[in-house]
Amino acid sequence: MIASAIGIVRDNWLLLLIGQYPNGPLGGIAATLILSVLGIVLAFPFSVVVALARLSRRWVLWAPATVLVYVVRGVPMLMIIFWVYFMFPLLLGASVPGFETMLCTLVLYEGAFLSEVVRAGIEALPAGQMDAARALGHSYPRAMWFVILPQALYNMLPAMLSQWVGTIKDTTLGYVINVPELTFAANQINNRLLTKPFEVFLILAIIYYVVCFSLTHAATVLERRIAKKRAGPVVLAPALAAAQ
Amino acid sequence: MIQFRDVNKWYGHFCVLADINAQVRKGEVVVVCGPSGSGKSTLIRTVNRLEEIRSGEVLFDGQNVHAKMTGAQLNHLRSRIGFVFQSFNLFPHLSALDNIVLSPWRVNGLSRAEARERAMRLLERVGLGDRAHSYPAQLSGGQQQRVAIARALAMEPPVMLFDEPTSALDPEMVGEVLAVMRGLVNDGMTMMCVTHEMSFAREVADRIWFMDAGRILETATPADFFGSPQHPRAQRFLAELRSR
Repeated sequence: MIASAIGIVRDNWLLLLIGQYPNGPLGGIAATLILSVLGIVLAFPFSVVVALARLSRRWVLWAPATVLVYVVRGVPMLMIIFWVYFMFPLLLGASVPGFETMLCTLVLYEGAFLSEVVRAGIEALPAGQMDAARALGHSYPRAMWFVILPQALYNMLPAMLSQWVGTIKDTTLGYVINVPELTFAANQINNRLLTKPFEVFLILAIIYYVVCFSLTHAATVLERRIAKKRAGPVVLAPALAAAQ
Repeated sequence: MIQFRDVNKWYGHFCVLADINAQVRKGEVVVVCGPSGSGKSTLIRTVNRLEEIRSGEVLFDGQNVHAKMTGAQLNHLRSRIGFVFQSFNLFPHLSALDNIVLSPWRVNGLSRAEARERAMRLLERVGLGDRAHSYPAQLSGGQQQRVAIARALAMEPPVMLFDEPTSALDPEMVGEVLAVMRGLVNDGMTMMCVTHEMSFAREVADRIWFMDAGRILETATPADFFGSPQHPRAQRFLAELRSR
């Protein structure tokens, strides 16, 4: 079985790596990574905006942000994929390719979850930080920008890496709308071979595991490093673990 | 310079400040003392509106701090009131120098070079010229508080407020902070200072306000207050201090 799995990898490594590119769309691991990186990178500013809205005292800001977060938290991602998949063409009057559809979904979905991490990171800072900034005459947005967010986001780095791992796993759902990512490539191979599903999906599992484990490990290392740097009389954001 | 007129503040049914009428004149050093929970810190925090009040007026330089005003007006007002916190509240992601530079640069509109020059001068003044590039976590409590004082002075405020500046310090570090404060007194700075350091109060204060249960029960010169306190509560407070 191992021999046949190795054989499958040898015959299909390019498809697993980049899909049918350059004869077709970019796929495979490359597409999975690009999709997840773009997803998390775009979700990040979105999540900061949502978190700040959630912390706002003005209901016009916090109400929609809170509804968004609660809806996303209470609905499976697959539902959101379908919504975006069927709604966007209706709204835009043009068809939207699977990759972009999946990217929008990821930004919305991961952004909503990430916003809770950002919010927890901000709330975990001692209230004295905001007091000190305001007492010096900084406006609320400036205090956020110069004092609160740099600390909160730095503390959140490990949580964000974890979220990235989650995003990589979530990209597999792109399969249902024919996004040519890694799972899609594996399924193509399986459809061609027909008799070796166990080997094909074992290979798929190993690839995901290696990628995700490396990132999880990096998050742990980063967390330790941040904890070490923080060691001293000033202690920040102890509640981040709870936020994850 | 600072005037309290019929100031009242309630937390629910609990009265924190009751009928406060008092004033700090230009160049005067007022020490506010009294048992824990007597409202001293709350009182000093109403001066730059870190605490709101229920009724009355707090005038700073003739301007009612708690009047309706725009955010920009309040920020400008706050930038002219130096405030030093019990827990220092230095920004841990910035070096000592940058802690001081941030506000003159971003709030007062000084160039970065000017702000740095001013910050270095102030660090020298508080005896920390050689620690400019240290981060707060690398400084002792006393050093952090001295940086915090320099940070407040960088805005060149006409008045400095101290909210128990030495209460979070180890005993051997209290002296270095008080020395810096003594220097300010000698320079003629108007100061309002909540502290438990009675020997410091006796030495530098022009007047002492004794508070309990949200009221100023006695205002007197240090000689009168420590020599012959009038209010029975003040007599008991001083007796307890001496018996320790």
